[in-house]
Amino acid sequence: MHDYQYDHQTVKGFIVSSIFWGVVGIVVGLWISIQMWKPELNIPPYFTFGRMRVVHTNGLAIGLGIGAIFGISYYIVMRLARRPLLFPKLARFHLYLFNAAVALAALSLFAGMNQTLEYAELEWPLDIGVVILWVMFAVNVFGTIIKRKEEQMYISLWYIIATVIAVAILYIVNNLAVPAGMTKSYPVFAGVNSANVQWWYGHNAVGFIFTTPILAMFYYFLPKSTGLPIYSHRLSIVAFWSLVFAYLWTGAHHLVYTPLPDWIQTLAIVFTLFLIAPSWGSVVNGYYTVGSDWSKMQTNYLTKFFIMGITFYGLQTVQGPTQAIRVVSQLIHYTDWVPGHVHMGTMGWVTMTTAASIYHIIPKIYNTEIYSIKVANTHFWLVLIGQLMFSITMWITGIQQGALWKATNADGSLKYTFMEGLAKNYPFWQLRTVAGVIFTVGMLFFIYNIYMTIRKGRALAASQA
Amino acid sequence: MAEDFDNVNIEDLEAKDTARKIPLGWLILFWGLILWGIYYLAMYSPVISGWTQEKAYEESVTK
Repeated sequence: MHDYQYDHQTVKGFIVSSIFWGVVGIVVGLWISIQMWKPELNIPPYFTFGRMRVVHTNGLAIGLGIGAIFGISYYIVMRLARRPLLFPKLARFHLYLFNAAVALAALSLFAGMNQTLEYAELEWPLDIGVVILWVMFAVNVFGTIIKRKEEQMYISLWYIIATVIAVAILYIVNNLAVPAGMTKSYPVFAGVNSANVQWWYGHNAVGFIFTTPILAMFYYFLPKSTGLPIYSHRLSIVAFWSLVFAYLWTGAHHLVYTPLPDWIQTLAIVFTLFLIAPSWGSVVNGYYTVGSDWSKMQTNYLTKFFIMGITFYGLQTVQGPTQAIRVVSQLIHYTDWVPGHVHMGTMGWVTMTTAASIYHIIPKIYNTEIYSIKVANTHFWLVLIGQLMFSITMWITGIQQGALWKATNADGSLKYTFMEGLAKNYPFWQLRTVAGVIFTVGMLFFIYNIYMTIRKGRALAASQA
Repeated sequence: MAEDFDNVNIEDLEAKDTARKIPLGWLILFWGLILWGIYYLAMYSPVISGWTQEKAYEESVTK
């Protein structure tokens, strides 16, 4: 009667697809990191930095991030609703359409079709495709939750619901545009309004793609894989509601010292700083959970992924708000500090938590164990070293850059030319490529481990059939 | 078939004895940030304190 197996194949399909797009996105990322210090690697028109950077960001945010979020959310919703998906065939079609959309998105970006809104680059026909994908996801998530067999709604479900609703609103509003042919459009907002809407979207894409669904995973898979229940249910709930209340006000911190009215900037800074509290609610909850038995760090290989992941989340959610404060923003904004910050979230918090969730799910689906804990440990350390090296090099060069830009002579003229500042970045950009290579090797260990586990699971299933 | 093999008991996910606890340090952080927010909003809102980014810029270049 319960056909979990069919839904699990859909979940696995999303996971495997997300890993595939992840490889594409990471390879492109490595390439553009080399372009920064070796401009010859820009091969016009398709393989130039301007086009490849958006393939990198979209490929990883949509392909790896959202692909994994779709699959893992389905898995969590089924578990917490105690039933298979309400529309299993729709979920399978969702998977096919997702891959088609990501492929078309990548091709269109390589071709130079671009709305020129950051993280909302895709042109309007693809925007419609993304909305359709999202509606399919929403119908299945809400349908399954409404028809659930477990009355109580665990915190992960709240985070998934927030993700579905917030992304829908953000994506539609920021992509409102007047089409001018199939591959060109003009946004309905202009000037300062456009900037304000864009960063309301841009920041909350981080909030509702790189934060809330990942917290849903954290709250579900940490207790599931360690056997330790979450420390405080009330803290989870208070942190959830204060997070979703505060997040949507914060986007204008990307526009500090711009023509955006002063009071809007100030309001955004206030809400941004407040966000430290709900974010650290989850951090504290995570630490106290594992704190009830720290030996799990040694006895369960996944615990360290979750603890390191939530530590990166904790660092990010102090670093981000600090950057919003005017005095800090004027030093580091527009410098390489910013990619250093972003990548601590994506390479640290998001990738570690997602990978750990996948390590939990794939063996469960096949009713087997992970292929190799040793390989998983190697993956962990390489990713950790690669990520720290990436962010630390970018922080250093970012502060240096900001200081060079701000240095003035007595008569007010700039002390350093743009080229002098640029040349000082080169050693750090080269180190960043090394960091990226270390991270990539770590991810290859992860992929190998997952591939071997699937192979093992398939062999097991065949022998039982 | 492995039906329902990983079904969840909510009580395995949420601790019973600490379910309603909120650490004091966190509460201080929460209310502290709200109070700080009110202060910062007043200090940097043109209609309340008269501060504007233009004035701040002028001051910084005449120094």
